[in-house]
Amino acid sequence: MEATTEPGPEPGVCIPWEEKLKELPPIQGDAELAERVWRDVDFLAHMCIWHCLLSF
Amino acid sequence: MGQDAEQLYAERMRRYTTAMRNEKPDRVPIRPFVAEFTAKYAGYTVQEVTHDYQKAFDAVRKCAADFDWDAVVGNMVYVWTGLTEAIGLKYYAVPGQDIPAQTGFQYREPPENEAFMKADEYDQLIADPTGFLFNVWLPRVSRDVQPPGEPSTYRSNLSFLKGGMAMLQYFSDFGVQAARLRQESGTVSAISGILKAPLDILGDKLRGYMGLTMDVFEQPDKVLAACESLMPHLCHIALSGADPDKNVPITIWMHRGGVPFVSHETFDRIYWPTLKPIIEEIWSHGHQVLFYAEGDWTPHLRSFAELPEGSIVYHVDRADIFETHRAIGERFCLSGGIPNFLLSYGTPDQVRECCKKVIDGVARDGGYVLDASAIMQNDTSAENLRALTDFAREYGVY
Repeated sequence: MEATTEPGPEPGVCIPWEEKLKELPPIQGDAELAERVWRDVDFLAHMCIWHCLLSF
Repeated sequence: MGQDAEQLYAERMRRYTTAMRNEKPDRVPIRPFVAEFTAKYAGYTVQEVTHDYQKAFDAVRKCAADFDWDAVVGNMVYVWTGLTEAIGLKYYAVPGQDIPAQTGFQYREPPENEAFMKADEYDQLIADPTGFLFNVWLPRVSRDVQPPGEPSTYRSNLSFLKGGMAMLQYFSDFGVQAARLRQESGTVSAISGILKAPLDILGDKLRGYMGLTMDVFEQPDKVLAACESLMPHLCHIALSGADPDKNVPITIWMHRGGVPFVSHETFDRIYWPTLKPIIEEIWSHGHQVLFYAEGDWTPHLRSFAELPEGSIVYHVDRADIFETHRAIGERFCLSGGIPNFLLSYGTPDQVRECCKKVIDGVARDGGYVLDASAIMQNDTSAENLRALTDFAREYGVY
């Protein structure tokens, strides 16, 4: 589902991988692994703040 | 009991899901949303089940085993105040701390001039909802969190750490609770995942009801845009907590987005157009949504009927369940409709009579899940709940 008002980071994202990637030296190993884990853990922060709003 | 419990669980899951698909199971499923009632029944104070969620889990398991219900919520008290205190949330009155130990937790909405989001902050919210929550909203709702630009403090850092860790622990333990309910008493965990309507959450936790009612007149386009910006996040959170097996529904807790809290125009222009697509999206993923329609949403049944057949289960609180059944019963399963005042202050005979009337009136062809009108707190009579359970188990057989 896309917002019609083009808000900031997409759902599930607090700091986009693309933004983080700019801070890193060229990735020498598995870039997909680095991206996936970054996104997975970033999602937890998104979940945490939105559950603060919705659930608690 | 392992094998027996597993068989019982399978029977109950089939019964519950068949009814929710608006079909006819072997008998009417019983799925009471018991909250602080569980504390009273299990011998705990309300403070204990609210502040120590393991006691809440224990109380639910005791009720599930003793009453032999088909499905329950793992912890319907839900707001674990150990977590809310760790974050430092200002808006809860905590049993045993701020209010008497036998009173259910209270949500304290701030006065209009102290709303957690100001009237001129819509553009900030719209531009980046998640950033707004972290940078603006959280520092206002927490006693400890410092806003960006202010010196960080030990308490501020700890609130994030303790809050995050506590939430992870709580949610993980819900999985353990579901497994124990299944293994120990063959009870189904009734719901999975949470949703609130964009306009509702804007009123509940951001602008407050008073502020929002002014905004819909003074800056309706901003309110609409804000709701639109919340939509994908709310949908995402709902799906992230949904039952992977697609058996039990995501629940939407419906508060003040309908008449008479808002006008028909606001409902038609803002509330419904920013909720309906979320429900359709969730349904496209194969999940039902339980509309926990607190209060009376009868003026909007026609709108709800626009949803795909079977996509929701509609819970009746203060509305006339027979009128609701006539309006949308062909399309959706109903639940609830047994008045809480009757369960608290009526007699067992009156409870049985009411259950008979509801089962006769709305459950004849299936598509009904027995429950009270609203969440049952500690004023609910155990004798009456027993009468409801025993009667429905016998009379509710198809």
